[in-house]
Amino acid sequence: MAKTIRLTATDGSTVEFVDEVIGSGAMKDVYFSPDKSYVVGFFRTPQDANAKDRLQNIVGKYREKIFNQVGGDYWENLFCWPTKLVEWNGKLGIVCPAYQKHFFFKDGMFKGKEKEGKWFASAKLRNKFLKPEQKGTWLTHYHMCLQIARAVRRLHAAGLAHSDLSYKNVLVDPESGRATVIDCDGLVVPGKYPPDVVGTPDFIAPEVLQTRALKLGDPNKKLPGIQTDRHALAVLIYMYLLNRHPLRGGKVNDLDAAKDEELSMGAKALFVEHPTDTSNRPKIDNMAPSELPQGDVVKRPYTMCGPYLKELFDRAFIDGLHDPSKRPTADEWETALVKTTDLMQPCQNPDCEAHWFVFDNSTKPRCPFCGTEYHGQLPVLNLYYSPAKGRFLPENYRLMVYDKQSLYMWHVNRFITPNERTKPEDKMPVGDFHFHNGKWILINRRLPDMWDVTEPTKRQIKPGEFVELTEGRKILLSGEDGGRLIVVQLVSN
Amino acid sequence: MRRLPVYLLIDTSGSMRGEPIESVKVGLETMVSSLRQDPFALESVNISIITFDREVKQILPLTPLDELQLPEISTPESGPTHTGQALKLLCERIDAEVRMSTPDQKGDWMPLLFIMTDGKPSDSMLYKEMIPEIKKRHFASIIACAAGMNAKTGPLKELTDEVYSLDTVDSTAFRKFFKWVSDSIGVGNRSIGATEELELPPPPPEVNVIV
Repeated sequence: MAKTIRLTATDGSTVEFVDEVIGSGAMKDVYFSPDKSYVVGFFRTPQDANAKDRLQNIVGKYREKIFNQVGGDYWENLFCWPTKLVEWNGKLGIVCPAYQKHFFFKDGMFKGKEKEGKWFASAKLRNKFLKPEQKGTWLTHYHMCLQIARAVRRLHAAGLAHSDLSYKNVLVDPESGRATVIDCDGLVVPGKYPPDVVGTPDFIAPEVLQTRALKLGDPNKKLPGIQTDRHALAVLIYMYLLNRHPLRGGKVNDLDAAKDEELSMGAKALFVEHPTDTSNRPKIDNMAPSELPQGDVVKRPYTMCGPYLKELFDRAFIDGLHDPSKRPTADEWETALVKTTDLMQPCQNPDCEAHWFVFDNSTKPRCPFCGTEYHGQLPVLNLYYSPAKGRFLPENYRLMVYDKQSLYMWHVNRFITPNERTKPEDKMPVGDFHFHNGKWILINRRLPDMWDVTEPTKRQIKPGEFVELTEGRKILLSGEDGGRLIVVQLVSN
Repeated sequence: MRRLPVYLLIDTSGSMRGEPIESVKVGLETMVSSLRQDPFALESVNISIITFDREVKQILPLTPLDELQLPEISTPESGPTHTGQALKLLCERIDAEVRMSTPDQKGDWMPLLFIMTDGKPSDSMLYKEMIPEIKKRHFASIIACAAGMNAKTGPLKELTDEVYSLDTVDSTAFRKFFKWVSDSIGVGNRSIGATEELELPPPPPEVNVIV
């Protein structure tokens, strides 16, 4: 039995760990606490005063900024954030909560291994090695992306940059749609602490790679920060949803593999799905069978992620690829992902691998994964907001209806957004949709002021009552400020 | 998808017989199973094994990590160590197996080479002739391991700056060495330092760095 070491952390609390290395990362050796509720990671090399000061701030000031506020608990699930600083045998160490159970493979050939994002972002790994239940659904991948975007948004709002976002530093669980950002000890405070790393291959922003050869201190050298996090975030989302890299295409920029890599990800980076410059389109003929069909941008174009994400991908990989100020913010990704989940439909094919798809705005919707056409009536709710009493304007926001779907407060009132600040009562559905006796209906559960305003003689739908969803039906969900009007469209197929 | 070719050159001369070669086999098995748990390796690593004693054989042609089965490794009673011949075969196999980039198609990553020996080349003329040929093949890195007290590091240092020596040739030493080899293979997927070039992880304490 290895012995247990007892230390006093810089905050005065007691830290214990079993003197047996359970894992070694690039910089640290990691030990378990006796009850395995936390880990202690010791830096192998001595940390200078600057690094120590930074770590002190990460476990102290920055941590408090995020966690010690109303709704702070919310972030416990989205970050694995260092809590304490310790010293042992002259080595500096940080204490981190242990990863939650669902972030480890519970069975199969990778039992006990961490679910690092790469398993789920690579076509080959998904197609060859993962079991169907480990892969979740397309909807759970949106939920994962949403949590990553939210975590990054929170960091950026606090003036911090992760600086090394990659699928290695984000653990995901597609089964439950959860994600958590790990390795927060490398956080960068722009202008205060310089980054230790330039990032991880696949996620390094082009301008960073392009100026990597310049010396530290050269004013032209670009280092990781909030804008490069935005690039990494866009790449992560693209890869989780489409299982291919947005910049790894068929174009050969140099015959030397290392130089080609540097150019293709750096100075000459080009979106594989660029609408006019097609020179970097992936070449299907050069792909292994295990990389398909995800590698085929014709069969699986990024537009299948819906209109809101398409716009952001365009800004991230076309307009903002070499112009960091144009990249979408984490906040924009979060909003677009929420709106996109409202556009999702369950695929009617029970064997479909994705189970869900984004409504393509057509009159003949079909699942882009298995090709199954949707049969039956499909209600589409167009949301309108009211800039002035009695006037309603379209909001470019739609809600797709499926059987047993729920209606939430963030659909009802445009001033309510689903995030960490959502009140517990707003997390409960306020209504639900059903396909009942051949008709689509919306049952009001809790809305005190819901009206069918299709006819001039409007009719209140009280809690417990329902309204049928028919073409052109207009339903006012709330008369309060920010309350929305729904206009129903029915797609029949 | 680019492949990452990894060539392992293993000394199977008579002196490796017994515990040393058994330890190497255990080390290889551990390495393969640990690499198979690494998503980065599983996606891109391809492994080939060449053994050398009196005879030189490619006992495993370049094979994707998930498809390979470790072949039987045997050692003769005694005889010379044809390290030069092994390098010659390595060059031939690389020319045949590693895909080069063309203007239309991306090739493989630059290969990695790990060479392990417990003695010195018996065919030193050929060995010397092969050094420039190896350099021409542009390996991403070459790591040499001199195993045991009788291993000569001099010839290995002509091949690469990365020469490490194992004092003992038991299973613990080899297990740690191959653990380090697998960490080195995965290094391409790690965070890249802001100031320095891509670095290999530090060798385990049982390995001595030859300066």
